[in-house]
Amino acid sequence: MGEYIIRRTLQSVLVLFLITVFTFGLIHAAPGGPTQIFLSPGLSIEAGQIRAEQLGLDRPIPIQYFNWLGNIVTGDLGTTFKNNIPVGEILWPTVKNTIILMSVAWILSLIIAIPWGIYNSTKEYGVSDQTASFISYVGFAMPTFWFGIILQSFFSLKLDWLPLSDMYTMGKEGNMMDLIQHLVLPVSVLTLGFLAGYLKYSRASMLEVLEQDYIRTARAKGVKENKVVFRHALRNALIPVITLIGLDLSILVGGAALTEAVFNWPGMGRLFVEMANSREYSVLMAITLLSAVFVVIGNLVADILYAVVDPRVQLGKGGKA
Amino acid sequence: MAASSLKWKTMIAGLSVMSVIAAGCGNNAGSNNTGAGTNTPVTNDGAANNAAAANNAGAVETAGPKKGGTLTVGTFTDIVMVNPLYIADTSSGDVAYFMFANLLDYNKDGDVVAEPWSLLESLPEISADNLTYTLKLKANAKWNDGQPVTAEDIAFYINTIKDPVAASPGISTFDKVDKVEVVDAQTAKITMKSVFAPFLNNLVTAVVPSHILKDVPVKELQNHAYGKDPAVTVSNGPWKWTEWKQKQYNILDKDANYWAKDTNDVNIEKVIHKVYADQNTNVQAIIKGDIDLVGAIPVTSVEAVKSKGLNVLLAPGPLYEFMSFNFNKMNFGGKESPFTGEKTRQAIAYSLNRQGMLDNILKGTGQALNAPFLPGTWADPGADAVAYDYNVEKAKQLLAEDGWKDTNGNGTVDKNKVEFEFELQYNAGNSRREQVSTVIQDNLKDIGIKVSTKGIDFSSWIEQNITPGKYQAALQAWSLNSPDPDSESVFSAKYFPPNGQNSGWYNNPTLDKLWIEGYSTTDQAKRKEIYKQVAQQISTNLPYVFLYQYGTPEVIGPRVKFAAEDTPVAALPYGAFFGVNKWWVEDAK
Repeated sequence: MGEYIIRRTLQSVLVLFLITVFTFGLIHAAPGGPTQIFLSPGLSIEAGQIRAEQLGLDRPIPIQYFNWLGNIVTGDLGTTFKNNIPVGEILWPTVKNTIILMSVAWILSLIIAIPWGIYNSTKEYGVSDQTASFISYVGFAMPTFWFGIILQSFFSLKLDWLPLSDMYTMGKEGNMMDLIQHLVLPVSVLTLGFLAGYLKYSRASMLEVLEQDYIRTARAKGVKENKVVFRHALRNALIPVITLIGLDLSILVGGAALTEAVFNWPGMGRLFVEMANSREYSVLMAITLLSAVFVVIGNLVADILYAVVDPRVQLGKGGKA
Repeated sequence: MAASSLKWKTMIAGLSVMSVIAAGCGNNAGSNNTGAGTNTPVTNDGAANNAAAANNAGAVETAGPKKGGTLTVGTFTDIVMVNPLYIADTSSGDVAYFMFANLLDYNKDGDVVAEPWSLLESLPEISADNLTYTLKLKANAKWNDGQPVTAEDIAFYINTIKDPVAASPGISTFDKVDKVEVVDAQTAKITMKSVFAPFLNNLVTAVVPSHILKDVPVKELQNHAYGKDPAVTVSNGPWKWTEWKQKQYNILDKDANYWAKDTNDVNIEKVIHKVYADQNTNVQAIIKGDIDLVGAIPVTSVEAVKSKGLNVLLAPGPLYEFMSFNFNKMNFGGKESPFTGEKTRQAIAYSLNRQGMLDNILKGTGQALNAPFLPGTWADPGADAVAYDYNVEKAKQLLAEDGWKDTNGNGTVDKNKVEFEFELQYNAGNSRREQVSTVIQDNLKDIGIKVSTKGIDFSSWIEQNITPGKYQAALQAWSLNSPDPDSESVFSAKYFPPNGQNSGWYNNPTLDKLWIEGYSTTDQAKRKEIYKQVAQQISTNLPYVFLYQYGTPEVIGPRVKFAAEDTPVAALPYGAFFGVNKWWVEDAK
């Protein structure tokens, strides 16, 4: 197992490196670079060149890349072009805010979806199952921003029960109750979105297991249904679900730009969009790298968990992992 | 996102020029107003505005102005920095507007004046040859660290902007200045390279404290903490900047030691400049009452906002939209531009239903114009410019006179075996231009011209099409930073791409000469006569089809109160806040 983890970690570093090369190239290939955007109105060509030199933007892209890489390795994320603010100063608060929002929504959706999906598999096409199906379809189909606006209009503008947007009321930063009130609506939107997948997945996975021969054997032996489900089927049914959870770990740091925009949540999804528009390469690269790290870690965790819960999987022993 | 919107504007000589307006009602809206900007009075804003103001004032007639309270302004981009040397985006300009006193200010009518809160004691003394301006500062003008505002500050500010190494976006504002001399602590003398009549408008500007910045190497100025860290950002306006929570808000507090507090004692205690993700969230927030003012909401939200009883100001701003023709052969496969004939351009102008656009798309936020001078300004040519009413028959006739006939019966006119078809570009996501381009497509189809429309991502569009002058026709807008009519930099052959803003390669020597004459005299009567000729010439020759002046609807929440004379003036730079030093808020907390 130890050997396996080391091997995977080394692979991950390589993957991360390739991701950064790829995104760096892609970002620089997009038309309308920072010299077009951050060099402001009225600036002469000459002044523009001076500025570009100051920022190292006049150098060949591979050189710029290795400069960036060199800084990253030493933990320096760089500064913004437009106003020379350290990237970390902008980025870390938004990362924290996004993780707060996403983890609440994600954990909540797991807590609801997994037991409910499993329950539904035992009462296929019952009322509960139909309801869950309905919610799943709605969750899949409904655009988050639209659902968000509907919730805002009703619970905030009409009923005035909940705050419209933001993370805290101004002047109440750090107040837990205030944070919870602000979380309700965006978490509802996100949870509904996540719920759909996990509900379907845990239900399907359980159904599949319940049709296996060894379950039939257990039933034939007269084992009680409850025991069949919870003792015999559950652990096997959870294997793919756990893998999925590992793979989804990267949800924590991404994928919520729209929800963040609708609820004015000061997170990194919004930051990314804004920075993409102003071609702030250093911020974009930092966010990309961070997301990539989470994806890679998520994959690694998924693999390891898989081995832990599924005794049939043996890691690092020659054969296929 | 819209910090990026601010744009592009070139450097060229002189004029306190103009900037391409991004998306209007799209996500880039409202990117007008650069640092040294300024503007034009619009006469017809009266009805809507005054009615609104009367409501407001009426609601508090018993109470009158109150001290204290918070004004929360909504926006959808964070500031970049509030150092006046480097302000180039709307948000930074907005925040700086509360923090800094200007040398001179605009009054309600768009005249440059020395207000009690302006740094200068009076309008500058201008020499007989119109080449030197003597500026006299108020003796009591102070920075909020207690240091006096001096002539050194003025000289430092202008000289730094002029220095290309400083990379200031305002460089073109002062490029007709030869030198600035410090006469004494309160007096500065500016010498011009040549007579430049609009110059007074360029003095509607803040200055920076030289005692803080003079020892910073010019190259390092943009990276200096001044303008980014409230603790070192010494300013001289009624409010001081106390907090910047990045990507979330800025806080400005009334300065108890403000030098002009005896004559300009502002009522509002705290101003919060709050960043939202986009215009739609701004709309929701003002309906909820989380914010008190939004400078620009989408036209499509106006009805919803009005139905909640909020005060919507619909006056057109200092911007006008146009369809630009391109005259460069390179854009038509080496063949002559189909727009070469004057009659052809006039035919296109006659074929467009501009009133229809105003009624159905602009919905009260626009008005037609026929020359590059805003209606209501002193250079407004009125009836002297040629007006093109919607007249399909006339358009067809003019096209035919210019040799365009449908010889092969395919529905599209042709000349010398070339079909009349072109591509009309605009920036994707700008819903106003998207709709207008469709109307143009339909209208031109009626006279046998085939138009394809194409929306392109804003920054790519500017870089690949507008700046190098590579397009066939485009929907664009200019934001006028000054009420002065000088527009040499967008129409003169001196300013061809890629270094100039005449991106349609328009060449009219008669007009080029008139522009120069126009700014080379300060005799107002003479100037008026010259710009009348410009208007006649340009509205006949049509480098563009001038479509309309337009604006962005401003919304003001119920807590904000002001007397009628302090109503925002959309056509002024920072006009959304005009009079804010006299406003007050109710239920002051």
